[in-house]
Amino acid sequence: MTVALAVPDILVARAQAGDEAALEALYRAFETPVYNLARRMLRNAEDAEDVLQETFLEVVKSIRTYRGEGHLWGWVRRIAATKALMRIRREQLRATEPMDEEPGKLGMHVGANIDLERAFEQLSDTSRSVVWLHDVEGYTHEEISELMGKSVSFSKSQLARAHARLRRTLGEGEGAST
Amino acid sequence: MMHCTMDDLLALRAGEASVWARRHAEECATCRAELEALYQRVAQLKALPALHPPRDRWSVVRATVRTDRNRRRRTWGGWGLAAAAALAGALLVPGLLGSNGTLQAELSKAKNQSATLQDQVDGYDVDGRVLTGRMAAKLAELEDRIAVIDSDLERRGTLKPQAQDAELQLWKQRVDLMRQLVNVRVSTARYVGL
Repeated sequence: MTVALAVPDILVARAQAGDEAALEALYRAFETPVYNLARRMLRNAEDAEDVLQETFLEVVKSIRTYRGEGHLWGWVRRIAATKALMRIRREQLRATEPMDEEPGKLGMHVGANIDLERAFEQLSDTSRSVVWLHDVEGYTHEEISELMGKSVSFSKSQLARAHARLRRTLGEGEGAST
Repeated sequence: MMHCTMDDLLALRAGEASVWARRHAEECATCRAELEALYQRVAQLKALPALHPPRDRWSVVRATVRTDRNRRRRTWGGWGLAAAAALAGALLVPGLLGSNGTLQAELSKAKNQSATLQDQVDGYDVDGRVLTGRMAAKLAELEDRIAVIDSDLERRGTLKPQAQDAELQLWKQRVDLMRQLVNVRVSTARYVGL
């Protein structure tokens, strides 16, 4: 999903002054891209909804600190990604699952004709997040490692493992890149 | 024959591959096909449909915005009461009018002015009205600066007499900013009235 949301400066200024109509306009502009990002990173739809809500509570609280450096969507997206990653970390701590471990818990047979969306959903939360942030949102490995509190090589290896897994799940090619 | 690994393919896509991987990909049809499949996969991921939130969460966010706004007003109102109490204290306790009596009197005066201006600001409540971007930005800036001063005053708590001069300066700055805030709010009310 490509997002090219241009928000007028005047709307940002009004939101910064606490104007409720302006804050709602920002919410309406970003609710779908924020939810989509969270939903792609998280397995659970309700968790994604919670991230949407937490993100906008943070946006409302911190909008005055936004000084117009970079696109507003970039600023909002970073908040959303951080919230989603915090949730993943919390879940992993609860489940005592290390971050780079594939879940392998679905226990379902996946045929060669399974579509990409389902294959993507079967990746671990961490792998899915890295793939989405890097390949779709355009984050660099440096930015991802900073968001995750991990090393650059961790981000790179997660991406490689995720693509190898996607390739296997989708039944693509034989012989190379295993 | 050794083929490119997924790490190699991703490095090729990023333009960071080793010399060996680049040369191999040029010669090996299998690895070129794998690289093409990788590009296709990423293109398909980017083309996935947007997922929409099933429920509207704005009402929860809005409720929080309103709660925070009310809390802030209560804090400002609290400063008004504190100012009135300080003024009454200065008038009723003659001990305060000792060697630093002038300072105390000035402090009380500034606090009282601040409380009066606060009442005026509340009288020109523009919340919910349409603001111009310039006015909204000005209001935000003034409120931010007042909040910083309030936070500073709050941190100071009970002061020693020698620190009261600095406190007086802060209260004077607050009065000045409150005057500007009143002016902006009066202008906004007039603008909306037109």
